[in-house]
Amino acid sequence: MPRKARKAYIPLAVILSLAMAAAFGQAPAEAPVVKRPVREAPGEFQFVRLAYSANSYGRGGWGRRDQMWRTDWPDAEHHFSRGVDRLTRIEVAESGRILTPLDDEIYDYPWIYAVEVGYWYLNDQEAGRIRDYLLRGGFLMVDDFHGTWEWAAFVESMERVFPDRPIVDIPEGDEAFHVHYDLDHKIQIPSRMFTYSGVTWEKDGYTPHWRGIYDDDGRLMVAINFNMDIGDAWEHADWPDYPENMTALAYRFGINYLIYAMTH
Amino acid sequence: MFEALFKYSRADYARSELVFSGDWPVWMPYVLAIAAIIGITTLLYYRRGNARWYQLAAIGSLQLGMVALVVWVLLQPTLATDRLREGENTIALVLDSSASMSYGAPESRFQNALQSLSGALQDDAPNLSVRHYELGTSARSVESFVASAPTAEGTSVATSLTGILEEARFSPLAAVVLSSDGADTSGGISSDEMAEIAAFGVPVHTIGVGREVIPEDIELADVTIPDKALPGSTVSARVTVLHDAPASTNVKVYDGDELLQLIPLELASEAGTTTAWIDVELAEAGPHQLNFSVDAVSGESEFRNNTRSTLVNVANQEYRILYFEGEPRWEYKFMRRAVGGDEDISLATLLRVSPNKFYRQGIANPEQLQDGFPASRDELFAYDALIIGSVEAASLSGEQQEIIRDFVSERGGSLLMLAGPNGLGNGGWGQSLIADVLPARLPPTSIDSFHRKKAGVSLTSQGVSNQMLRFDSDTDLNNQAWRELPEIADYQLTGNLKPAAVTLLNAETDVGQIPLLIGQPFGNGNAYILATGGTWRWQMSLPVEDQKHETFWRQLLRALVATAPENVSLVADGGSDSGTIALRAEFRDEAFRPVDDIGVTTIASHENGESFSVLMQPGDEPGVFSGEIEPTISGTWFFEAVAERNGEPVAVSRSSILHDSGQSEFYGFRKNPGLLQRLSEATGGRYFETDDLSALPDLLRYSSSGITETEYRSVWDAPIVFLLLLMLKAGEWLLRRRWSSI
Repeated sequence: MPRKARKAYIPLAVILSLAMAAAFGQAPAEAPVVKRPVREAPGEFQFVRLAYSANSYGRGGWGRRDQMWRTDWPDAEHHFSRGVDRLTRIEVAESGRILTPLDDEIYDYPWIYAVEVGYWYLNDQEAGRIRDYLLRGGFLMVDDFHGTWEWAAFVESMERVFPDRPIVDIPEGDEAFHVHYDLDHKIQIPSRMFTYSGVTWEKDGYTPHWRGIYDDDGRLMVAINFNMDIGDAWEHADWPDYPENMTALAYRFGINYLIYAMTH
Repeated sequence: MFEALFKYSRADYARSELVFSGDWPVWMPYVLAIAAIIGITTLLYYRRGNARWYQLAAIGSLQLGMVALVVWVLLQPTLATDRLREGENTIALVLDSSASMSYGAPESRFQNALQSLSGALQDDAPNLSVRHYELGTSARSVESFVASAPTAEGTSVATSLTGILEEARFSPLAAVVLSSDGADTSGGISSDEMAEIAAFGVPVHTIGVGREVIPEDIELADVTIPDKALPGSTVSARVTVLHDAPASTNVKVYDGDELLQLIPLELASEAGTTTAWIDVELAEAGPHQLNFSVDAVSGESEFRNNTRSTLVNVANQEYRILYFEGEPRWEYKFMRRAVGGDEDISLATLLRVSPNKFYRQGIANPEQLQDGFPASRDELFAYDALIIGSVEAASLSGEQQEIIRDFVSERGGSLLMLAGPNGLGNGGWGQSLIADVLPARLPPTSIDSFHRKKAGVSLTSQGVSNQMLRFDSDTDLNNQAWRELPEIADYQLTGNLKPAAVTLLNAETDVGQIPLLIGQPFGNGNAYILATGGTWRWQMSLPVEDQKHETFWRQLLRALVATAPENVSLVADGGSDSGTIALRAEFRDEAFRPVDDIGVTTIASHENGESFSVLMQPGDEPGVFSGEIEPTISGTWFFEAVAERNGEPVAVSRSSILHDSGQSEFYGFRKNPGLLQRLSEATGGRYFETDDLSALPDLLRYSSSGITETEYRSVWDAPIVFLLLLMLKAGEWLLRRRWSSI
């Protein structure tokens, strides 16, 4: 889409976003109702969602932005876990878990997911814990943050985690994009609002970026999905209007990240 | 006293036969005895008077005794004794001239032995001719003994005696007298050798010299260390120190001149041996001459037995391991990561990501494992070890399972089975074709033996001393490290262990202690079970700097490949304390089938540059070629066996060995009377201490071997005979006076 044309849609997108937010909200106002019975049987892989404190961007303003980490919960992990179970030989726990950076149990789950990280805030202690977790062999997938402001907010905390490690674009040939599915044709995966607005971007995040942070051995520790909303695609996989190809791609990204984490 | 009464000594009676030299017919003594009984009985009956029956019996017995004694004298009893014939026999005097005989002050063992042999023959010896032999690794005939320092570089009593007896097979050898410390460096006298020596029928009298207990000496009795290792690996040496008193010392290990390790060692027991483990890290590839030593204790004078040298060949090669995993899981990732930095281990992995996709890592080329798990011997046998993770046995064909079994039993590879939801019993491996290979009888698939519950880990008594489970060279610190390890994420029940299985680790679970790491040899190889897929928690739960998880897996994988033979091998044996070095080369093809259509030549090179070639001869087994060299100089010898087919080299194998001749005399040099006693007992001889040789001359004089003659000596005139006659007559007279009735 031409740049000018995209800019023309911004006011419309903002209006629609506000309307949708009013209608559905970005996160449950109260403890959400669990739709399906949770089986406590553990698996080799259990979806763990990182619960973090909100930054000033998240604490202020409208809505329950101080709990943005709950976005898409619990359908996102519920759907994605079943997808992993169906499409791979990984033994998957049926229910997900929510852990904070300072929970000791976080070390028992070498793959964690953080959403809306444009709103996160990691203090020095939390950043140190995440750094330790990643260097020991953990893997962090971050998702659903958009535009200049949210990137800056994400980076502010991420730099406390790794002050000296650059955030780089993941090369096309990286195993993260080929370990199971060959993800050579990447497209921007939008939130569900796309079904109303027809636009795939949010804020000024027009271009999707797959970025990452590597350790000294070249292992991808943090998969940064910027200007896209893979979590929404998982969550709304059963939504008739959400494009199937985007949901499928979102699954493939998630599965590749997971298998990469289990092999590298 | 005995000799005064019986005319000759007890020994004379013992070695002699009693014969009667009177010319009477054989029946005469019986007739006389019967006549005496009848005559005395009749006489007493008619002259009984008022005597009672017991009085008559007593008088009669005394009279009969006197008559019997007279008959005994008339028969002329004589001692018949075999003794060496004058001037026709030979005695072999054997003096131990090995280097260990130089020990002792102010008089050495050698001097004591010399004195003892010089006193063996007394002046009244029956004109024996004497042969002199010096004993070492073999016997050497000498004109006479010379009081020079003993220099023989080894002691082989059996070889030496057999040589002496063979030499004297057709001459009248009456006896052998051996004076020695009994410190045999050839490994002692085997039962076969003992029987062969005894079969000559020549008594071997032995004289033991030296001391059994030497409190002022400690000896580095043994160093056991693998003869090959991987670069950068830590090998454990088992050091045994022999001592007769409590002491403190240090054990040091040098790689050439570089000090690698030093540990203090308390020799606590009063007498015996003390054993210690010492870890040595060998970084560089190539042969390493490791010199072990223990510090001398107070008063020690023999320092040569405080050191030992050994050669460890650090292989400059890459070992190949195949890891077949049935599902993506954390253990896979963290294990690969743990051994990723080990340049000597090439870990190729085949991971079934989904039912329709295998993911390969660590492969050398795109073709490797492209068709999945190896389906041929050639392909699988190219690996040194195989790891099977959480995957069902049914995912492999029967032929593939047979290849795995042959991989362990024939190729000598190692198999490690990991736990998992589809591993071990859950995967049906207990009913598979490799069930025999495994060290446990796995539960059937109907039982879910895999438990995703955390468990502690503890070392077993066998695991404590196992190098692959060492986080610290100090045993206490190592035990503590294991106790402090985080829990593993899961465990799996293994079922009953097989008789040859050894448990190295236990899991401390909520249902009690269960085997966690077990192993057993199978055929030429080894099989292990690690009944967890959750050691990755060690990596995630410990600080980033902690290396226990990496150490565990690197050591475990190195242990797997360390025992796996190569398809081409050359073994040099007998480098120390032996006159020869035996070479054994084995050539197999990629599928480990013996190769026979080749010629093999081994080039032997000494470290100083001297070299020569040895033509290897086909051995008894297919693919095996053997040869032997007799090194003339000590030091490191390098060997290169070259196999040729039609004049073209097809395979090469290398080896090296440290040859250190002459050193064995300084180890185990305490007097060994047991060996000498057994030798004497087996041959009809006698063992003597140097301070009591009085019986030796008589033993030689009356030796049963050689050319003998019979000496007759009358004993009818022994004082005891006349004394008895007097006592019998006096007794009768006294009784008659007392009873006054006969």
